[in-house]
Amino acid sequence: MIPNPLLKTDRSAMALFVFSLVFFFIGGTLTTLFPALVEDSWSKPVEGLKPLTDQQAAGREIYKREGCWYCHTQQVRKLPSDVARYGWRGTAAPISVPGEYVNDAPHFLGTRRIGPDLSRVGGKYDRTWHLAHFRNPRDLVPGSVMPPFPWIANDPKEFEALLAYLQTLGRARDWRPNHDYEE
Amino acid sequence: MGVLVSLKFIWPEFMGSAPWLTFGRMRPLHVNGVLFGWLLAADIGLVFYIVPRLCGNQLWSEKLGLFTCALFDTVVLSAVYTTLSGTTQGLEYAELPFLLDVGVTVSWVLFGVNVFMTIATRKHEKLYVSIWYIMGGILWTAFVYIGGNFATMFQKGISQANLNWFYVHNAVGLIFTPFGIAIAYYFIPLAADKPLYSHRLSMVGFWSIAFIYVWTGAHHMLHGPISEWLQTVAILFSVMLIIPVWTVITNFYGTVAGRWDVVKKSPILKFLMAGTTFYLLTCFQGPMHSLRSVSAIVSKTDWIVGHAHMAVLGAFSFFAIGGTLWALPRITGRPIYSDALASRSFWLMLWGGLIYFVSLWVGGFMQGLQWNDTSIPFVDTVVFMRPFWIARAIGGALMYAGIVVFLYLVFRSLGHAEDEAAVAKANPVNG
Repeated sequence: MIPNPLLKTDRSAMALFVFSLVFFFIGGTLTTLFPALVEDSWSKPVEGLKPLTDQQAAGREIYKREGCWYCHTQQVRKLPSDVARYGWRGTAAPISVPGEYVNDAPHFLGTRRIGPDLSRVGGKYDRTWHLAHFRNPRDLVPGSVMPPFPWIANDPKEFEALLAYLQTLGRARDWRPNHDYEE
Repeated sequence: MGVLVSLKFIWPEFMGSAPWLTFGRMRPLHVNGVLFGWLLAADIGLVFYIVPRLCGNQLWSEKLGLFTCALFDTVVLSAVYTTLSGTTQGLEYAELPFLLDVGVTVSWVLFGVNVFMTIATRKHEKLYVSIWYIMGGILWTAFVYIGGNFATMFQKGISQANLNWFYVHNAVGLIFTPFGIAIAYYFIPLAADKPLYSHRLSMVGFWSIAFIYVWTGAHHMLHGPISEWLQTVAILFSVMLIIPVWTVITNFYGTVAGRWDVVKKSPILKFLMAGTTFYLLTCFQGPMHSLRSVSAIVSKTDWIVGHAHMAVLGAFSFFAIGGTLWALPRITGRPIYSDALASRSFWLMLWGGLIYFVSLWVGGFMQGLQWNDTSIPFVDTVVFMRPFWIARAIGGALMYAGIVVFLYLVFRSLGHAEDEAAVAKANPVNG
């Protein structure tokens, strides 16, 4: 049942060393290096994707610093519920594709939704809403568990940067009819 | 040494409104503190204890070992500052800044050299199964860590995300699992005073995990923007993980079979066998989550948080605590301060853990179902979670109380330090 060379590892530390690494690297390269090489879609930007301006990039840094990505994912999965829930006024949200993320480092795909997904949030709410929401989320959304961020709301430079970044999210896909986006 | 220092780094969950106390900064501190500050440090300490005993010699270099511990602990302490100040690489488990990553890597290489040299100069020819897991764990950790913390710097978008989950998943599967299993393989037969149930099974378990585990990272992105074939590969291999897990579990249960009366009396075996049971449960959940239909409900919910806590606390921390309780009196030459206290700590952690896990599973599963009904506004599903989060906090507080009791027990058992010679005398080579 067990191949003979592997039985040797019982006594030979060198054989153990070599086989452990070989086994690991077969799966390791085939699931990380190989797909990155063969999947063109991973590095080809979607049409309409613009690089972030300096201000938007500064906003993205704040998003990273405050750990927004621990509670908010940035991906609309193929599930019908994701598509409907993260749509807007009856329009379904487009399913996320790799080409939307090509400029993202670090990526903010996320693993947990303590709050809603943000990949399509750009243009849904205006400046006044976001300002009030960062001061105290519960004033606008009773029952929310998001922490208040007064040090951002009260710092025009930080707030404008973060706002500028948030308003880019999902905009590359230009998915809303009549372009009913808020600034 | 590592075990003792590490005990200082167990973090409860706080809430606050100052920038450095917000969830977005406390969370990475909690996660990194538990994984690197506590569990990895405890594992390193126990490996230093186990390897020379299995090799029939001394640690290759005691000085190097002390230096490694000092370096590693410096990194952990610095990480507390960087994490709270919001200095982060923005990738899960890889938050620590570049310089600290280098510190971790250097500590790891020094640790690896020390262990491998000890094994290379061993007196017993035969390598016990714990040694395989330790060697495998050290090698895999090195490459998993480099992949997750350095290779990601040169990647963007989906490719980076894929590498990130390769790292996150293997951090559990190829870092904490092999060390946890190595510890359990060493201490369960000792504490039960019985030989290992099956050598052959342990081989199947080891080589199947060595081959299978690394393929599974993409199961964190089911239904997401990543190639379907990669998701399918991850699902197939995740399901196959049943093989290494069940062989190991059979081996552990087989070893204590007929000795359950001893388990009843021994807090060490209680930790080890409860850890075994939680390992079985965690690793049954894992393959189930990786199925597309189940993932559509539980992914991104608190179910997963419950699952992760069962793995890290229920399985691997229990193994490490059980091992510590065995090793400590043999290092100090003084008996454990109180077996009753050790048992109390066990029951607190067990009940706290169970309340924690179950409340998050039930709440998370139901929230997942609610998300799939798009007529329910998102915030209503958050309000719904409140009672489950209260239960979780109570469970967490009990767990923490258990940890405090354990910490107190360790310090009382240390008492006044004995001199080096006495310690060496109480330390028979094959302990």
